[in-house]
Amino acid sequence: MTESGGFPYPGGGRFVGARVKRAEDPRLLTGEARYAADIQLPGMLAVAFVRATEAHARIESIDVTEALSLPGAVAVLTAADLDVAPVPLPFEFDGLAAPPQPALARNKVRFLGEPVAVVVAENRYQAEDIADRVRVRYDRLGVVVSPEAARAADAPLLFEDLGTNVLFERTESAGDVEGAFAEAAHVFRKTFHTNRFVACPMEGRGVVAHYEPRADHLKVWSSTQTPFLLRTTLAAVLPYPEHRLQVIVPEVGGGFGAKMSTYPEEVAVAAASLKLGRPLSWIEDRRENLLAANHAKEQQITLELALDTEGQILALRAEHVGDAGAYNFNSTSCLIEPFIGARNLPGVLRLRNYEWTVVSVATNRSPVGAFRAVGSTPGSTTRDAFLDEIARQLGIDVVKFFRKNMIRADEMPYHQATGQVYDSGDYIGSLDQAVELVDYAGFRRRQEEARSEGRYLGIGFSPFVEATGWGSEIAKSQGLPFSSHDNASVSVDPSGMVTVATSMASQGQGHETSFAQVAADVLGVDVATVRVTQGDTDVSPYGMGTFASRSAIIGGGSVLLAAEEVRKKVLAIAAKTLEASAEDLEIADGRVAVKGAPQRGLSYPEVAAIAHWDLGVRSDDDGHRLAATRFYDPPATFSNGCFVALVEVDPELGTVKLEKIVGVEDCGRVINPMIVEGQSHGAVAQAVGGALLEHMVYDENGGLITSTFMDYLLPTALDVPPIEIAHMETLAPHTAGGFKGMGEGGLMSAPGAIVCAVVDALSPFGAVLEELPLGPEQVARMAGSLATEGGHS
Amino acid sequence: MTPPEERIVRIEVNGRPTSALVEPRTLLCDYIRNHVGLTGTNVGCEHGVCGACTVRIDGDIARSCITFAAQVDGGKVETVESIAPSTDELHPIQRAFEAEHGLQCGFCTPGFLITTQALLERNPDPSETEIREFLSGNICRCTGYVGIVNAVKRAARDLRDRGT
Ligand code: FES
Ligand code: FES
Repeated sequence: MTESGGFPYPGGGRFVGARVKRAEDPRLLTGEARYAADIQLPGMLAVAFVRATEAHARIESIDVTEALSLPGAVAVLTAADLDVAPVPLPFEFDGLAAPPQPALARNKVRFLGEPVAVVVAENRYQAEDIADRVRVRYDRLGVVVSPEAARAADAPLLFEDLGTNVLFERTESAGDVEGAFAEAAHVFRKTFHTNRFVACPMEGRGVVAHYEPRADHLKVWSSTQTPFLLRTTLAAVLPYPEHRLQVIVPEVGGGFGAKMSTYPEEVAVAAASLKLGRPLSWIEDRRENLLAANHAKEQQITLELALDTEGQILALRAEHVGDAGAYNFNSTSCLIEPFIGARNLPGVLRLRNYEWTVVSVATNRSPVGAFRAVGSTPGSTTRDAFLDEIARQLGIDVVKFFRKNMIRADEMPYHQATGQVYDSGDYIGSLDQAVELVDYAGFRRRQEEARSEGRYLGIGFSPFVEATGWGSEIAKSQGLPFSSHDNASVSVDPSGMVTVATSMASQGQGHETSFAQVAADVLGVDVATVRVTQGDTDVSPYGMGTFASRSAIIGGGSVLLAAEEVRKKVLAIAAKTLEASAEDLEIADGRVAVKGAPQRGLSYPEVAAIAHWDLGVRSDDDGHRLAATRFYDPPATFSNGCFVALVEVDPELGTVKLEKIVGVEDCGRVINPMIVEGQSHGAVAQAVGGALLEHMVYDENGGLITSTFMDYLLPTALDVPPIEIAHMETLAPHTAGGFKGMGEGGLMSAPGAIVCAVVDALSPFGAVLEELPLGPEQVARMAGSLATEGGHS
Repeated sequence: MTPPEERIVRIEVNGRPTSALVEPRTLLCDYIRNHVGLTGTNVGCEHGVCGACTVRIDGDIARSCITFAAQVDGGKVETVESIAPSTDELHPIQRAFEAEHGLQCGFCTPGFLITTQALLERNPDPSETEIREFLSGNICRCTGYVGIVNAVKRAARDLRDRGT
């Protein structure tokens, strides 16, 4: 068997690498697709949540009398009525305080918007009216809205039992950091504070739960990225036997990480259905989504860099302080930002001496969690801004500075100071290609000319390396002992058609297309004869689901391995029937035939019929059923690339006009270039939002100011510039098919590119990065057009 | 609290007469989704910003999440379900979105299709800037608008070539 993948397969190879149209599109283009909000079941009731109106308070009483008298009221359930266990951590983690997050607040609320009670009513309008009339009396407690405040000696505590708001603190180091600093020619130090922004899929969260007491069957439809993890978690906390629990993922309107964790609301709706024995539907509104779906990306990062006289990096110190929000829920979410951020900050740099400190602090804000390029966006953005500033101070061109300090292709596989082993790729090659694509020298001339006309153009570079395909090995190398389990099944039915069932779940990434391309090529059939099913725990084999760029590698890899096994069975049956040896056969265009004698062959329907119904063949001991399920837990592999932003800034108005964003990406073997480019485009648009527009703002009482799309600004078609993506293709040496993951690089790296471009444009004003995002006010201040406010570093 | 008085609303949806007894506060998107049973119109924000819920009311594009069903009583509404000419055929705009990868999760797509249809009726040959401006009331979180803008250009070309 070819562990590394046999592309192109003899006779196959038509679909992998081609821009195959998506199988998903016809239903999505016509309104036929069914999202969670479109599910209607007979007798279904609507759920609304009563949410905390205080950021930190003791619950004195909950009065439901008036609420229950309103039309349509069926039930109001509080923590006292729903006795479910808090969601457990997926693994033990040394030094991590993991105070439990209840499905509904018990005794105390810790952030504005925390679920306090479940209202069940005939319809959603009524449920919302009723929720408004549930009277919760709070006894206010002191509020902490920043890690700084939360670490103060007399800070109010979110979890009194812990005796501190610090959930995690650890320093690690590699090499001789102190020695390197001692002999440095230059030392630079700066603290950055990145903005809090969120995944914000256009479809919010949604859960439909239906418990049938006599069938003893609990069905949960959820807009989730991880159906099997949700099933396992629900089974543990409700508790309810896992084999009687079915999780179904309907069409999902985007996830980007925010639908990865099991949320308290998912548990509460399932528990309420168990209690009431009725189908329930909860469809989140946008305010709830901005308030209570996980936040992300905010870190305070202090960097200290030692350089020699030549501009060679000798050592780096980093301190990442994360604001965990009010809970550290089941994804060990409080580590997501600072822990992964610090591990990945060195990225493409050749770094021998590195010391990193990670601190995670609980505050009275929404819990943080996963969002595309988890943890890495803040680290990458601040690293780029820092290096850019240093290069300018030293009078070195930033591209030269990067090139001097980046890992070279001949150093692969490279052991990074953080313990990760980069498997392959030409990082400097990616940078060079980006430099060429934007005509860097030409740009500098244009910039000069524009300046003489009083116009300010800027350019920013951000080379990146992206840990992809989170299996057990990569998780371990990231310091997280999170073992994986993923499977795919491939089967050929009696009519000769192919079904692929995978443990992945799609939120718009087109798995039904990509996985069909892989199976079609391995089996030598037309892609139209392959159907991919996913997202139903009764239908698919077990697995972790879709997050951290794992679907192409693990999903694609497991489909490839299962399909290879089925291919062998097809060949064996044909060999027996045709009285030829399997080695003398080839498969092409859905036909197995003797090499050089195409008339001596069988079509897939013929092979399938024989396998199922021909007693002579079927009775063979070696199990000729044309089906296989394969497990895949891939070795670590890293994608890489480089994003470049070109901007024009108006220093007086503070407006940033993005001219274009160019990306070079190497994600190994590309299954469908159209889909891969689409993923990059989307990530870049989110980068534009994160760099220039999006920011979750709290007041000092823990009130969220940005709870609508009027205040939380998402980029529109006018904000996102033309995006150009070029591919490099360095096959992953160790994964099935040579696949690497992708989809996150744009959000890891493009924000840094944009930020550096703005700073570059304003370099005549001596601008440096102070505050994110770069809204008009911040930009004007950087240009000196607005007086600098006191109070920020 | 006495329940608000319900009233009968009659709306022609995609060329078919529909009616329902609804509360005055019933939103047009809920009328279409829950009473008529057409769930292609998606609701992304419920406060009039994202454009996912865009439909046409008497030919004009409008946000069904900030319009009451009662306001449209006696009027005509068209939704995404009206665009494809038949079950096994897509409209050139839909084909263009498919060819240019103008959609990923598809949640924003009905709103973009309806808006594009209105744009191309008004302006059969829009420039890139005109396209971006006209679509700027619709938010897509997946595509970065690259495929969408290309799809609108392609649809415009195809429709012009067809001479419709
Ligand atoms: S749902 Fe109507 S504009 Fe967002
Ligand atoms: S395709 Fe997902 S929001 Fe546009």
